[in-house]
Amino acid sequence: MHVPDGFLSPAITLPAYAVAAPLWALAARRHLGRDAADALPVVGALTALAFVVQTIAIPVPGGTSTHLVGVTLLAILYGPLLAFLCESLVLLLQALFFGAGGVTVLAVNALAMGLLGPLAGWAVHRLLRRRAGRAAAFLGAWVSMQVAAGAVALVLGLQHRVAPEYFPVPFAVSATALLAPSLAVTGLVEGLYTVLALALLRRADLRGLA
Amino acid sequence: MIRAAALALALALAPGAARGHEVLHELAPGHAAGLRVYYADGEPLAYQAYELWSPSDPRVPWQKGRTDRAGWIAFVPDVPGAWRVKVVDAGGHGLDAMVQVPAAQGGPPAGPGAGFVLRPLLGVAVIAAIFAALFAWQRRKGARS
Repeated sequence: MHVPDGFLSPAITLPAYAVAAPLWALAARRHLGRDAADALPVVGALTALAFVVQTIAIPVPGGTSTHLVGVTLLAILYGPLLAFLCESLVLLLQALFFGAGGVTVLAVNALAMGLLGPLAGWAVHRLLRRRAGRAAAFLGAWVSMQVAAGAVALVLGLQHRVAPEYFPVPFAVSATALLAPSLAVTGLVEGLYTVLALALLRRADLRGLA
Repeated sequence: MIRAAALALALALAPGAARGHEVLHELAPGHAAGLRVYYADGEPLAYQAYELWSPSDPRVPWQKGRTDRAGWIAFVPDVPGAWRVKVVDAGGHGLDAMVQVPAAQGGPPAGPGAGFVLRPLLGVAVIAAIFAALFAWQRRKGARS
């Protein structure tokens, strides 16, 4: 799901940075402020876990693979802004040290996988949690993956329309390639991962857990 | 129940563990075979469609593509032996020939190596260090105020 450097033109990456930068500042001020010390060990551990689950490739038919994102969990526990901040850190490390994604496309990837997806998942969870807690978490994580994949597909489709020399694949093809594994596999596994992790965390009753 | 489900999930993901989703690359000098196609007058068959078959599977092409501007086809053989190459130009000219790849050149690609296990660990270590520093900074700030 990571868009690599060179696939998006500055006409898309620069506005994305303009949107992401104030949100990063707001998220850091809100979640890394004076009262954050208690939550930091849990948030750090969940961020590291998100990094690890993103390195696990799930094979899907068609000779490709997909992966979890793992930050819907953070959005449910601490809010979508912290999920955005943590996913941005994960994406930055992946771009700088591991060749996944890229620095020019960091804001686009972070907005899609770190904000829009987890925001949708958080909203679904909030809406349904009183009726069915586990189902709400599962559905929230599933929706989060579809929104993130859809957002990446839309950006790539837009790029193809405005400057196909950056991304030569038409929207219909890239959207299918992104959404089919997400709908059929990744969403379900992300849902399962989120429900299990939430249950284990709540059972552990850790200090600083929201 | 939760533990059993967690174990099942871990087992399901285990085969793919420690493999990055990112697309990597490596430059391996000396591994590729280069084949140049040209007309009798030395004019290269530039940008022409070609297909290439490995002796390990003569039915499915190993590689398809177009020659480069100088008429070159480059490929990395999986096995030595007689490789079939077919180049067709738009005007109906072309080539359908067998080329011999020496034993020194053909071989399976190298595995991913230990880096694929170490990379997630390195990422976790960096994230842990960042949050530990943040935690220590917050505690110090809290102790002062």
